[in-house]
Parts: sequence; C-alpha cells; structure tokens
Amino acid sequence: MAAVEVTDGITVEAGRARTRRRVLVGVGLAVVFTLPFWAGAYPVSIATMIGFHSILALGLVLLTGLAGQVSLGQAMFYGMGAYISALLTVRVGLPSWPSIFLAAAATGIIAAGVGFVILRLRGIIVAGVTLTVNLIFYYLIMSMGSVTGGATGMIGIPRLVYPGNLPYTAFIFLLVWLVVLALLVFSRNVVNSRSGRALRVLNVLSGGSEDTAQVLGINTMKYKVSAFVVAAVFASIGGSLYAHYTRVIEPSTFHVQLSVIVAIMVIVGGVTTPWGAVIGATVMICITEILRAVAPIVLGGPTGAYELVAYGVVLVATLLFLPEGVYSLPKRLKRRRRASR
Amino acid sequence: MEFSTVLQSLLSGLTLGCIYAALGLGLYVVYGVTRVLNLAQGEFVMLGGMITVSLSAFGVPLFPAILLAVAIVSLTGAILYRFIIFPARHASGSTLAFLTVGFAFAVKGLTLLVWGWEYRTLTSFLGSPSIHLWGATIFGQAPWVVGMTILMVAGLYYFFGRTMLGRALRACADEPLGAKTIGISPARMGLLAFVIAAALGAVAGATITPLTMTAYNVGIPLTIKGLLAAFVGGMHRAEGVILGGLLLGLTEALSAGLMPSGYHDAIALSILLVVFLARPRGLLPAHANIED
Repeated sequence: MAAVEVTDGITVEAGRARTRRRVLVGVGLAVVFTLPFWAGAYPVSIATMIGFHSILALGLVLLTGLAGQVSLGQAMFYGMGAYISALLTVRVGLPSWPSIFLAAAATGIIAAGVGFVILRLRGIIVAGVTLTVNLIFYYLIMSMGSVTGGATGMIGIPRLVYPGNLPYTAFIFLLVWLVVLALLVFSRNVVNSRSGRALRVLNVLSGGSEDTAQVLGINTMKYKVSAFVVAAVFASIGGSLYAHYTRVIEPSTFHVQLSVIVAIMVIVGGVTTPWGAVIGATVMICITEILRAVAPIVLGGPTGAYELVAYGVVLVATLLFLPEGVYSLPKRLKRRRRASR
Repeated sequence: MEFSTVLQSLLSGLTLGCIYAALGLGLYVVYGVTRVLNLAQGEFVMLGGMITVSLSAFGVPLFPAILLAVAIVSLTGAILYRFIIFPARHASGSTLAFLTVGFAFAVKGLTLLVWGWEYRTLTSFLGSPSIHLWGATIFGQAPWVVGMTILMVAGLYYFFGRTMLGRALRACADEPLGAKTIGISPARMGLLAFVIAAALGAVAGATITPLTMTAYNVGIPLTIKGLLAAFVGGMHRAEGVILGGLLLGLTEALSAGLMPSGYHDAIALSILLVVFLARPRGLLPAHANIED
C-alpha cells in the first residue's frame, strides 16, 4: 500500500484518494454520531436497525471474506444473544449489563463447540449445515414454551441502565453504532495482523487453499473456529442489545431467513471488506423501508412481499454484474471512465 | 409402547420420507449434472402445490391441473437456469448457490403477492378415504404420496438408464469435458436438469398438499430438509438420496410419536445432522472417488 518512495503521478493520486477517503469517513462518523440530536424518531430507528444488521454482517465478513467459510447461521447467534440476555434478566433477575456479557460468553462457548464439529467440512456444505443448525435452534425456542415463551416469545425485557438523561432510543442508537465502529476497527486490525495473514492463506474463496496453509504450519482449524466464534460473539452482543432495545422478542426474528438476508447484505455490500457489511446493511434496510412505505400504497398487495422480490433481484444482479459488491462500484466507474477516455 | 403407535409412526414416517426423497431427487439431478446446490428446490414444490390448488379452485379437474402446474413450474426452472445460472456457470459453487437463493426469494415474494399469506390445501386425490389398519390410521392421501415417489424413482431409473437423453445427461454429470467432445451440449443438459428438477418438485408439491398444506413460506424448510436428506444419504447417488429421505421421514415420525410433544422437529434434524457429521461422505458414498 505504501509506495511512497516513488513520487510519480500514481502515488500522488493514491495519496489524494487516501485524503479523500479520510475526509469521507470523518464526515460519515460526524453525521452518524450526531444523528439522534437533529433527526426525527423514524430515521433514528431505521439507522438503529442498520446498526444491528451491520453488526451481524461484520461478523460474517470476517468469517466469509477473511476465513472463506460460507456460513448461514448468524441469525441463530443473534437469537442466542437475545434469548440468553432476556432469560437472565426476566427469569433470573440479573441486571441487564452483565447479562449481555454472560450471553456473549455462553454464545462464544456454544459457537466454539459447533464450529469445531462443522468446520471440518469444506465448501458450500458448511452453508447447508449451518442453515440446518439454525433451523434446529428455531424449532427449539419454538418448543421450549415454558422457558422461552414459545411462538409468542418474551415480553417485559428491562431497559439498559445508563447515567444522564439522553432519550433511550438515542442512547441505544449511539451504543449500537459505537459497537459497529469498534468492530470496524477490530476487523481492520485483524486483517493486518498475523492471524489475518494466516486466514488469507487458507481462504478458499480468494484463491487460497487449506492444504497449502497446513503445509505452511498454520493450524487451519484453530483459525477457522476462532473466526466462527468471533462472528458468533459479534452477533450475540448485537442480539442482546436488540432484546434490551425492543424489549419484546419472538422466535420468527431469528429464523433462517435472517441468516440468509445477512449473507445477502454482505454480498451486496462487498464480501472482501468490512465496509461492505455496513454498506450492504444500509442498502438493504433502505430498500426494505422504502418498499414498505411506498409499494403497498402505490401497487397494493401485502407488506413484505415486494421486499422479498427486491432482495432476490438485488442479490442476483449483484452476483451477475457486480460480484465484488457496491463497495467496488466507485472503483469500477473510475476504471470505465478511464477506459473510455 | 403400543403396537398401533409404532405402526402409526412407521406409516407416517414412510409418507414423510417419500416427500423428502422426492425433494432430494430434485437436488440430486441438478447437482449431478451442473454441480449447483439448488436452494430453490423447495420453492418448486411450493409453487407446484399453490398452482394446483388455484387451478382446482377454478374448476380444472385434478390431473389436468397437476399437468398444467408441472408445465408452469418447469418453465420457471428453465428461466432459473437460462437467465440466472447459465450466465454465471463458471462461477464458484457458493456464487451459484446464492444465485438460486436470489431466485427463491423472488419466487417467495411473488407468491406472497399473488396468493397472500394464507395456508391452502386440497382434498385427497379422487376423494380417497382414510384407511384403518390395526389401530393405525392412514390418511387417504398417503398412498398417493408413496405411489408418486415410487413412480418418480422408476421414471428416473428408466430415463437415466434406458433413454439416449438420460444417458447423455449422465455422461455430462460424470465427465463434462468428454461429453462435450462427443457433441453433448452441457448448456442444454443443464437446462434439462433444472427442468426435470422443477417438474419433480411440482409433482411432489401437488401430491403432498392435501397432507401438509402449502403457503408462500413453506419452501425454505422443505429445501433444508431435502438438503439434509441428500447430505446424509450421499449426494452422488440417487439411492443415497432416497435412503436419506426415508431416514429423515422415519426419524421425524418416530420422534413425534415417541418423544415428549413439541420437540420432534428439532430432535429429528439433530439426529440426522449427527449421522451426517459422523459419515460426511454420506451413507452411500459415490462409486468412484469423486472430490469436489
């Protein structure tokens, strides 16, 4: 990245691009973190949902983009975070903050067990198996009625306690986006670390090979399971925050459909970069909200139908025409402009 | 344990097993020929059921209605291959699988638009009454489901073993380059595989609707169960897929009959998952040493 020795046109341009990117990120951060102070309740609630989905998608970017494992189980770990935190506060009577951390720890341990068993498999089979595990989880919370409330879910989950007199929605918004920011920084550091390099070698999706990695002395299982656990813990923290935010949870939120939607977000945003997770979540949630608000009025029909069609169309279009996702769009446009010049 | 309970479980397990075997066969045909994991197979089944229900409601007699449904669903299978899979046929396995996911979402959404969210059902074919046998009850539709699966298997065996087209498909599955050399077009065979899978799905969908009902959202669980059945039995052989399907159906019915209520779905899927993890190449592995 750092070709500073040569001061030809290209590096000057690269330097300019870097400055431009920094300015863009700075402005983005400023806009996001002041949002609850100048925007209305509706945009803030949508931005909060984007934050929750970004957390889920960021975990998947580490797991899929970096470790090369196609997993369709993020909704399950999100649900574990939500349900464990809800059970600890509602049924056990624990305060909400420790319950978030206990839920994350429990989910991490479960994910380590699950990951250790299923990550011996390779390729797209892993997607099929995580999908099945997610479905089993859904059936379990549906049938454990006396504990989880079954199909009706759980109500009366307490709020998080915090000092100051910020409105609760603004507080949750800031907290969620702080988590997103922390995960972005964490992801960037992992990519540039020893683990990140090891993961790139074993990433079968970007031309790596697990056999090569093993020959190089990399313990592939250790790295794959670690990535799986980190993604699960991300999701669990997100799920706990979600439970304390909405204060009502039901099993259908954590059905396999959400796992698939998170994967679609990552693909649409761009699987190779943590930014892709945030971009994908933003694009997809905005599409959903616009369609929910407009389509049933203009075109009629039930809510929820148009967004399903849109998800399908956007996913197929991305895979066929923009395989590196929306993140690569500016680069692509620039290349095309240069080519036509 | 009463004899009638066990018998009841075995009978409904056999019926369920046939449903999953039919799903698995659709996955098997597509995977064998094109190496695509078709995560839209359950949507073919759902569409087949929905269209048959609607046509019957318009007064079309049952069997023409099924034929028409099969034709329409086959067309969607052809569309999936020609416009979504074919342009990306050289992409990775996960890309191809996600393309079928995109198709599945679109189909699900359109179904919700056209038919709404209500569950729909059909009466048993030809009004078949329930059969009572040693204290167990067999739904009138159950023999139809079993018969449909047997017919499907026999038809596939005949097609793949005895007809030129079927042999060409197999050639394409076993040795794509060799098949191309002797003039078999992989694109045509891929299209055919998707059409066959869609048709199988539609027939299954129409046949199981009187038993299980259908709605826009039944596709994903069906796909997952068919997938698990195919994985457990072995994706590379039709016999494996059928075995996996029957195993899943029987496990599901036995755990529903013998275990405390409510947990049977989770238990059956967990048992099958454990079997698969213990034998990841499938209970009936491929004849040759095929590596993906």
